[in-house]
Amino acid sequence: MIQVKVKCFSQVQYALGVNELSLELEPGTTSAELEELVRNTAQGKLDGVILRIAVNQKYVPVEIELKDGDEIAFIPPVQGG
Amino acid sequence: MVIVEIVSGPITPFPSEDDHQQDGAELVFNGRVRATEHGENIMALEYEQYDGMAETELTQLANETCKKFPIHDLFCKHRIGKVSVGETSLHVVIWSKHRKEGLEAMIWFIIELKKRIPIWKWAILEDGTRIPSECKH
Repeated sequence: MIQVKVKCFSQVQYALGVNELSLELEPGTTSAELEELVRNTAQGKLDGVILRIAVNQKYVPVEIELKDGDEIAFIPPVQGG
Repeated sequence: MVIVEIVSGPITPFPSEDDHQQDGAELVFNGRVRATEHGENIMALEYEQYDGMAETELTQLANETCKKFPIHDLFCKHRIGKVSVGETSLHVVIWSKHRKEGLEAMIWFIIELKKRIPIWKWAILEDGTRIPSECKH
């Protein structure tokens, strides 16, 4: 098993009710599979919300395999300014 | 030169200086908190950042802007935390030889900031409820 940390912001935080999750996942789990898990956990509250993925504080444009110790953020539309 | 700061208290503007003798334009933008969000009255916005990534991405964006446009300096401060109605949440100063490239750089920088910098805002409603800014309920 691998352990990862999921940072939750804005709509993701609102949907899940937490700032951060620590999860134990099967080795080989991908970013897309984790996104599906997060969306399922949100029980529809993230339907229609576009999420970009950052792994270890960098945007990743494609699906990647997660590694032990990774920090993942599903980034909802940003709102700076 | 690029200066980027994410600050948790009121923004102190960058000083307007008289020693930029090669720059004919000094552009200053202050983004301020409006009293309404999606038609609802608010007391404040609360800005949240992805610690570390927000400043890294903002610095990268500022450097990209300086490469894309022939400007000399870009200084930016973004406030985090609770910002009351009327206060400044974003302060940007661009120095350039002529106004055209400075204006274009300012517009592009702010558009890109709103696309990619991991900063979000929560609306603090009059009854004290805190909701994501895009959330309409």
